[in-house]
Amino acid sequence: MRHRPDDARHVAGCDDCQARASLGHTGLDVDLERVWTGVAAEAWATPVAWPERAMGRLLGSPGLARALVTTPSLFLSWILASVAVLAAGVLLAPLSGDPWAALLAPALAGAGIAYAYGPGADPAFELSRTMATSGRMVLLVRALCVFGLNAALGLVASLFSATAVGLTLGWLVPMTTVSALALAAATLSRSANVGVFVALSSWGFVVTTVFARTRDLAVAVESWALMPFYLVATVGLVALTLYVTTGNRGKDLTWG
Amino acid sequence: MGMNVRAAGISRRFGRTEVLADVNLSVGTGVFGLLGPNGAGKTTLLRTLATAIEPSAGSLRLLGFDPSDPGERRALRRSLGYLPQSLGYYPNFTVFEFVEYFALLKEMPKGEVGPAVARAIDRVGLGGRAKSKMKTLSGGMIRRVGIAQAIVNEPTLLLLDEPTAGLDPEQRVSFRALVRDLGEKGTVVVSTHLVEDVGAACTEVALMDAGAIVFRGTPEELTRRGEGQTVGDSPLERGYVSVLSGTRT
Repeated sequence: MRHRPDDARHVAGCDDCQARASLGHTGLDVDLERVWTGVAAEAWATPVAWPERAMGRLLGSPGLARALVTTPSLFLSWILASVAVLAAGVLLAPLSGDPWAALLAPALAGAGIAYAYGPGADPAFELSRTMATSGRMVLLVRALCVFGLNAALGLVASLFSATAVGLTLGWLVPMTTVSALALAAATLSRSANVGVFVALSSWGFVVTTVFARTRDLAVAVESWALMPFYLVATVGLVALTLYVTTGNRGKDLTWG
Repeated sequence: MGMNVRAAGISRRFGRTEVLADVNLSVGTGVFGLLGPNGAGKTTLLRTLATAIEPSAGSLRLLGFDPSDPGERRALRRSLGYLPQSLGYYPNFTVFEFVEYFALLKEMPKGEVGPAVARAIDRVGLGGRAKSKMKTLSGGMIRRVGIAQAIVNEPTLLLLDEPTAGLDPEQRVSFRALVRDLGEKGTVVVSTHLVEDVGAACTEVALMDAGAIVFRGTPEELTRRGEGQTVGDSPLERGYVSVLSGTRT
């Protein structure tokens, strides 16, 4: 038991501290256990980097900040796959004249977000569900991290393409929509695989439909006429995800 | 005595299968053992008490909180420790990082997290491996890391599902001492297949079969139920077999 001889309330309920006080020991006594755990904590802990401290302040939760900054280490294979696919897209673009990196980026983000959290995707999912910081918040920060990473990778890919500005503006919006769709589908179905399937098939449907009408693959990511559709769909899907994960909705599912 | 667990008429269905059937349970301070054969409903009851799953019917109050209310559930979870039967982990985290991560998700005060994590790791005897990556640990060590994350917040309600699985005899003895210590200040519910764990560490025991509690009493009372029984290697095991066979006939 940890002794706190300088805490009057603790001393009132602690026989050991009362006995020590009766022998003339004061609150200045060294609590060796306390000192040891403090030293051990400093020796064993990994120093908290400034991005995590900043995110902790921004999110108001050190736990969520840790969930956010550790996300990339949980999805290393996905990040490597994303880099490889986008690099292939950049290399293919000059050959075919189509913006492959821009077309692939939304699909990659959708797949990553579907696998960001949930049974089968997160090894510690069962434990995470019993934490004071809600699983919904962990899901959202992880989704945010995956999205941010994919956006960063896409931006790098766009730097190596001929139409950097057009690509940058183009794929970010449908990527947001596909990500929101993957998140909503995975959350509703409680299955990452369903999330990936819905997101990829929907994006594939949009691209092929637009291509069938215009004979131009780039229209799906570059046409300003489609942007309002993407934005409305994104808002609706995010609202749907928040709705189904709030409070006690889905009695048959789990506590959030 | 204050009851930290109050379950009234708890049922849980998965599809058409009823895994928990009208379970009534009140548990106060001490170490409470849950025994039963595979599929008896022990893990489902523990997952329900850990707020990992919601009961299909019945009412539940844990540490005075109603877990169906999001605000109360959050407050409850700050004082809860849970070791799942199958502990998933992040292979690239160190032992310290893993326990620290869950201490943070339990919303422990930031200044207390480091020393609390160090203390929990030390209590399970893993001080020498605190900076080791999870992927380098043996099964027994991973189990002990799981126990460390469960006790890091000094929980008032500690739920342990098969905690001694994978531990060697010496580690089991240390674990029982730890559980007895924790049971002096709060409620510890231990689900186990091993009747010797119950005899050594538990103040009270319940035996589950087919989703229902079929016996509740002290380990000594369970032992007495086995008098005259020939099947079983120890008095407690004979009591276990006697109660189960009596229930099924």
